[in-house]
Amino acid sequence: MLIGIDVGGTTTDAVLIDEGKVINTSKVPTDHDHLLECLMSALDEIVRDISPKKIERVVLSTTLITNLIAEGKADPVALIIEPGPGMNPEGYTLGSEVHIIRGAIDFRGREIQALDERQVQNAAAKISERGYRKVAVVSKFGQRNHTHEETMREIVQRTSPDLQVEMGHQASGRLNFPRRSATAMLKVAAQDKYREFADQITKAVSSRNIEAPIYILKADGGTLPLATSVEYPVETIFSGPAASTMGVLALTPPGQTSVVVDIGGTTTDLALILDGVPLMSSEGAKVNSYLTHIRAFAVKSVALGGDSRVRASGDEVTLGPERAGPAYCLGGPEPTPTDAMRLLNMIAIGERVLAEEAMANLGKDLGCSAGEAAQKVVDAAVEKLLSEINGMFLAWELEPAYRVWEILQKEKIRPQNVVGVGGGSLGLVPLVAERLSARGIIPENATVANAIGAAVARPTMTLTFRADTERGFYTVAEDGTTGEIRDRKFGQKEAESMAKKLIVELAGKMGIKEYASEAVVTHSEVFNMVRGWSTSGRILDVSMQIPAGLIPEWTGGGRV
Amino acid sequence: MTTLREENRGRARKMGLIFFPAFDWAITPTHPEREERLLYTKDQIFEEGLMDLPEVEEYKPRLAELKDIARVHFCIPSVESLVTEAHLIAAGSTLVLADAYMKKDITNAFALVRPPGHHSMRVAHGNRGFCNVNNEAIMVEYIRRKYGIRRVAIIDTDVHHGDGTQEIFYHDPDVLFISFHQDGRTLYPGSGFVDEQGGPKAIGRTINIPLPPETPDEGILYVLEELVLPILKDFRPQLVVNSAGQDNHYTDPLANMRFSAQGYAKLNEMLAPDIAVLEGGYAIETALPYVDCGIILAMAGLDYSNVREPDFVPGKFTMSRTMEANIVGTVEYLQGIWEARDELTETAVERAGPFFRRRKNIFYDTDGIQEKQTESVKMCPDKSCPGYMTIDTDAVRGYGMSDSGFGVFVPLFACKRCREEAREEYEAHKTDSRYNYVYFQDKNSDNFRLYSTRMHNERVY
Repeated sequence: MLIGIDVGGTTTDAVLIDEGKVINTSKVPTDHDHLLECLMSALDEIVRDISPKKIERVVLSTTLITNLIAEGKADPVALIIEPGPGMNPEGYTLGSEVHIIRGAIDFRGREIQALDERQVQNAAAKISERGYRKVAVVSKFGQRNHTHEETMREIVQRTSPDLQVEMGHQASGRLNFPRRSATAMLKVAAQDKYREFADQITKAVSSRNIEAPIYILKADGGTLPLATSVEYPVETIFSGPAASTMGVLALTPPGQTSVVVDIGGTTTDLALILDGVPLMSSEGAKVNSYLTHIRAFAVKSVALGGDSRVRASGDEVTLGPERAGPAYCLGGPEPTPTDAMRLLNMIAIGERVLAEEAMANLGKDLGCSAGEAAQKVVDAAVEKLLSEINGMFLAWELEPAYRVWEILQKEKIRPQNVVGVGGGSLGLVPLVAERLSARGIIPENATVANAIGAAVARPTMTLTFRADTERGFYTVAEDGTTGEIRDRKFGQKEAESMAKKLIVELAGKMGIKEYASEAVVTHSEVFNMVRGWSTSGRILDVSMQIPAGLIPEWTGGGRV
Repeated sequence: MTTLREENRGRARKMGLIFFPAFDWAITPTHPEREERLLYTKDQIFEEGLMDLPEVEEYKPRLAELKDIARVHFCIPSVESLVTEAHLIAAGSTLVLADAYMKKDITNAFALVRPPGHHSMRVAHGNRGFCNVNNEAIMVEYIRRKYGIRRVAIIDTDVHHGDGTQEIFYHDPDVLFISFHQDGRTLYPGSGFVDEQGGPKAIGRTINIPLPPETPDEGILYVLEELVLPILKDFRPQLVVNSAGQDNHYTDPLANMRFSAQGYAKLNEMLAPDIAVLEGGYAIETALPYVDCGIILAMAGLDYSNVREPDFVPGKFTMSRTMEANIVGTVEYLQGIWEARDELTETAVERAGPFFRRRKNIFYDTDGIQEKQTESVKMCPDKSCPGYMTIDTDAVRGYGMSDSGFGVFVPLFACKRCREEAREEYEAHKTDSRYNYVYFQDKNSDNFRLYSTRMHNERVY
């Protein structure tokens, strides 16, 4: 039996799955000050009559880190950076305690200016003096050569042993120094509180005699064992929309193109599944004001929900962005889209008489009848969602490309399905689908699709390998692994087989070794380095990944 | 997060950027114009996070239409045979940015794309100086056609003379072409001397500034300040294009100048081009990553003072007295030409008679083609008409095969009489068996035709 629990902003949802069928669900209100309690009560409700021995897998998705960072409750982190030549580092806004150090490494990992160790020493002393307990040390191109970051860490630890140090290349090895710096800071900021939470969960679950492995859902729709996830605490941010998208993936036929519409009270989250693969945000998630390297689905949050405030503006209606409170037909103070849909019999919740009253009031301002007013509200909501959805497809089509074949092969694609999930009123889904000439789907268990998605998501991982045979070394972006390459004839075949070996090692570190064989090479490229008129070496890039997908135990499939 | 601090935001604006390194295209595996060329530039600009800056908007390239190429070039035997998809994408990138710029979605733009184009002339038999088709010319004619602007300035800042662009606009008084470059006596393509000043009706609209080898930042910025900027102020262009080669750099393996990344950034700040298009530059590790970073920051209105090559220190290169005197002399001479351009035009037109004729020998270094051309321009009595032009071309490839053609060109702002005469010339030559191909390029009606005298068929672009 599989368990999925999604601790969302409003409710905490749980499902119990047996042989591809959802056999129990629960929904409890989320109390942000007592997340663990919410989670456990949702869990207790679905396993009440089940022997704990039958449970094979528990997957959690939680807003813990999202809230921690949004509310500024993560630990303060100082930053020591070695920016080298390029943008003026004074222009970065990476927090209030940033120390800029002289020294530089270039794009091929060569030291081009020695590290100013005295500056690092002074910075560490000052940071400690100001009461910080945590610091991130980041070099530009530090992922291609770790020595400066390692020296900085040693100096900081020697100077101020009370400081906890995170190195940039361990948080992310991808290109983009400001994003890597932010990712490293967030990682160290969230780590202690996350570890504490993970420990509590482990204890609480085992107190129910559940011995099944516990996984946590990441923003890229993949799972990680709870025990190793403490090394990747910020990856768990924004797992809610990822859970819903994975739910849609589980509940629709494989390989199709779908728009995921998760309508809540105040906002609607939109995501895309293209040919069966959820679309990723191209560089990484934005966390508060920080751009990061955290892999996440490309989710568009639209300020429009069932409880959005509806106002007349001339003879047009405006929707949101604020929440009006509950819908008028449910005893709320103002007209909402829910009232409009209730009056038009698109949904069946709330009092129809109250919905009519709300729309009649709105109609007075618009100079029309209650029915016409309701139609205007629904039309406006559909238009808004359509324009956002079309914008997402357009943005995908217009994503930059750097190779001739990429420009030639990218075609326009259109959605086959519009899938409505979540707790909100789903009456808009068929209307949006019709306008997109797609099939509107509201799956069975749509209100707990998020928990289903969590329950059946498989682990994901990526490996970005670069070898520089002229300099004789390779790097792995994900965890900063480096090593020597002695073979001067090291070519594409060797690079790919080395990447395959390395991804098994990385999977082992992440506790998902059994999935490593599912990784595929997504990109492999060779650059001959020509110096003078002869080839002096090669740069080889290989990318591998396990994309977001479903575990084989899930046989529920989409039967639409 | 990489946003600027509030107090520095004053000069902020939005630049459009297309980065198209064509990682899967090369002339040949060891050619300077190969996959690796922009690899380290990508590393640097991605590591800087320049694409995340609110001042930078990254665009996706598209393919140019064959008609966009035919609007500028007489491709022999046809457009399709001369361009690869990579060429269409490089040219198409400039068109994407041109549209965004003209619609005011962006304040300026940089097409950081390859393959380059500034050695491609109006008649194109093959690849010259790593170029098949001229990206800047294709963009300029696209903009003039689509958006109805007339006066354009193209400043060629590549170390090599922009002979292709010069040739395409040589008789066009509305396109000011200025090229500074390493003296043609010491570098490919061996042209770009001060006496190449434009056709009789466009004297002074071509300005060539040959510079002595080893000219440093100081010399180039002097030329910019004393000569280029004042001429631009007089000319009042509606569009300024930087044909932005990066091979004036002190580490470039194919040239001998002493320009730095700081110099390039400063140049773009002072010149403030509306659209810059990458041309040459083959110091792929020691120059390009830093030069491109500097240009992007300068065009985005951001601080570029921290951009420097690893071995660069201010004052690394200085000018000798002789070099300085040489540059000052060139600048003063060209100032004189610019001042006297109207009288010089009048005299030249008078001297030319009813038609201006010149013969040219053009060598295609990359493809080993030797071309002979005779160009003939009508000295139209209508002062505002540049006159139609015909070109007789004959090219011999290395193995002795010969391709001959006759082209008739009608400028965008041609008078009615010239348009009619040109059309007659085209029709008359369709039965002229001396030529394999007859070409008609009417920019005024945006109509481009290619007639094969062997196959007796006409292709309309």
